[in-house]
Amino acid sequence: MKTIKIPLLALFLLNALFIFAQQSKQNINMKIDSIGNAKVTISMTMNASQWQQWNGSYGNNPSALKREIERGMPAFFVDDFKLDKDDMNRSFALSLNAYGACRIDKRGKWIMNTDQKDAQLTALTKHKYMLVSSPPEYGGSLQQIYTIELPEAAHQIKTDKDAFGKSTFEFKMDQPSGPFNYMRWSGVFLIVIGGAWFGKNAVTRK
Amino acid sequence: MKSKFIPLAIALVGILCFATSFIIPSSNSGELEVEIEKSAFIMPAVHRVYSNPDALNGKYHLFKAKITNKSNQTLEDVTVKYRIPDYIDWTELTVSGQMFPGQTLVIPCYPKFKDDITEKSTESIEKAQIEISWDGAEEDDIIEEEFSFKITNRNEYVYTGVKTEEISTWSDMYDNDALIACFVTPNDPVVKYYTQNLQEKMMKGEAASITRKPEDGVRFLANIYEATRKSHMVYSGTKGIPQSTEDIQSIVQQIRLPREVITGNTGLCIELSCLYASVLSAAGLDPIIYMVPGHAYPGFKMNGQYFAIEATSINGQGLGGIASAEEAFKKGNENLKEFMERAQSGDPRYTLVDIHAVNQQGVTAMDLKDNDFMRKKVDDIVASWSSEQPVQPKNETQPNRRPSNTEIIVPENSIKTSALSFAIPNGWQTMMRPVPQVPILTAQVVAPDQLTTVSIYDIPAASIEEAMQTIDQYMLNFGMQMQYQSNGNTISGQTQAQDGSTFNWVGKCLKSQNGIRVVAVGAPSYAYNQKTGIINQVFNSIR
Repeated sequence: MKTIKIPLLALFLLNALFIFAQQSKQNINMKIDSIGNAKVTISMTMNASQWQQWNGSYGNNPSALKREIERGMPAFFVDDFKLDKDDMNRSFALSLNAYGACRIDKRGKWIMNTDQKDAQLTALTKHKYMLVSSPPEYGGSLQQIYTIELPEAAHQIKTDKDAFGKSTFEFKMDQPSGPFNYMRWSGVFLIVIGGAWFGKNAVTRK
Repeated sequence: MKSKFIPLAIALVGILCFATSFIIPSSNSGELEVEIEKSAFIMPAVHRVYSNPDALNGKYHLFKAKITNKSNQTLEDVTVKYRIPDYIDWTELTVSGQMFPGQTLVIPCYPKFKDDITEKSTESIEKAQIEISWDGAEEDDIIEEEFSFKITNRNEYVYTGVKTEEISTWSDMYDNDALIACFVTPNDPVVKYYTQNLQEKMMKGEAASITRKPEDGVRFLANIYEATRKSHMVYSGTKGIPQSTEDIQSIVQQIRLPREVITGNTGLCIELSCLYASVLSAAGLDPIIYMVPGHAYPGFKMNGQYFAIEATSINGQGLGGIASAEEAFKKGNENLKEFMERAQSGDPRYTLVDIHAVNQQGVTAMDLKDNDFMRKKVDDIVASWSSEQPVQPKNETQPNRRPSNTEIIVPENSIKTSALSFAIPNGWQTMMRPVPQVPILTAQVVAPDQLTTVSIYDIPAASIEEAMQTIDQYMLNFGMQMQYQSNGNTISGQTQAQDGSTFNWVGKCLKSQNGIRVVAVGAPSYAYNQKTGIINQVFNSIR
């Protein structure tokens, strides 16, 4: 049974973010951190009519927007929503955290699914990739430009296909440095203090 | 002595702390944080949707687990499995090769119930158990979680799964509309048998799915109605009550399956709609169920046109007012007209379920086994059909003849809104065939300010390019020139008149039964920016 599915790309085709019939462009930036979570930023500029329509539905009701996105992304846990609107330029930027965007498979490789068949991925830098998508659901009227930024620690990055022919990222990444270990560093501190004190006493006696 | 003892003791404590820091992490039970988001209920009829991660974008699952490694140690081979006693044995959901400190795993569970879940006739409360383990975990370390949920009986249809506190719109209250397709069972052997008998004994042959002619489709629809009428099928209610399941409050409707409607010879509007949709689908037509406030009725679509019938017009002797097929079809068309008007004006209460379209999204029918007793019941019903003649569409060459009880009129061009339609704003004036010299211009709708205009062209052409060339040719005859660009079925352009004035427009094209329909809305270039709002409004309503 297939149970893990992280369809990063298709999940952003949300009506809450796209309600227009005219040609529109959406920028989606995904920055993956060293433990596989993604910081997602979706931005878009609209014309006056679109802006009015979007504000009426979601722009002036961010809780409805949040709810729609949560419902539209069943494979994720998302939080930390932040909506920045620029009324002067009729644009918005929505950022959110998506947990568990990447996972480690049985062989220890990090995997990130794009949920797109034969995705045309373009490498911008060693760790940054771009993907342009025009979802058929919108009859070609929506262009989505994805920028996927993998962590600096990622290496041996390659694109592959899963069992369903969908494009995936595969890469290796070492464990990030762990949290500060108070006990270990307290021990070191006490050893140094104790040693120094003992040494000082020994020198003073002489 | 004292001067040596204290510093040595401090150093010794330091060594102990240092050593312990390497030992403590190996015992890290309880440092995996688990958060479960669960479904309050499972509908057996929908079991194929729950098992398919791709169905409706993975919206329907049993639970979703968020597991975060809160320890400072990397865990190896983290395995998550679950079971539902009496339904699903221990099943591995995922194995993560490693899980770094702070890393999160998100695991949705799409349970694969056995097919016999569709035989469940009573509801029950069940438990799901989840187990999370990893390499080197002691028995005490293994995390076990469980939660309870309801499995309804196979006939129960819960209208929404949205939590009560989150419901804000009509569509929230009917969030599960697409799942009605699970109750449409064209592959049920009993429904297939019924359909075959209908085609053979009632209609004496039909080919609507092959000819793709609307009149053949309408004939089929009317014959389903006649089959139910002749077998004295009656309209009757079933239990539909509001129920609370944890945070969710929804109307829960008992829906008799199409096979139960056939053999029980009775059905409610939604049940009759599912029966019609099952039979239409089994015969190769595209069934539609129209959902309106407090009611549902069936129909089909063909060549971009929509048709409907009022299936509940059978009523019954106890209710009176048993309508003929013609009357039921007429009523269906009235319903459909209202439906289109409401839907186009953006009324969210008027929705339709295109059964084959949602089937393609993974919402598929439940599995049902053959049943000899039901087949015999079908035989009895078929025997009741032999008394009258099958329904025929009215012959168009005899326009003055009043249709008999077993004839129906296929409306010309069917529903006007079928190929491409749009919402006409209040106060706008519609002119049919405004320019006789341009027969392809079917209608024009003009705003009160006489600036914004919508034009509807029906062009006998095979492609959009050919259609646009035809329009261009007509324009040239009037001394006008047209420039346009297309993107899929969306077009935009500019038309220049002899006097130098220009008209900017945007529109959409779609293949219709007789060629291409083009609907374009625009305004003179000097007023275009000023009228952008209304132009966009009309453009966005073109469907």
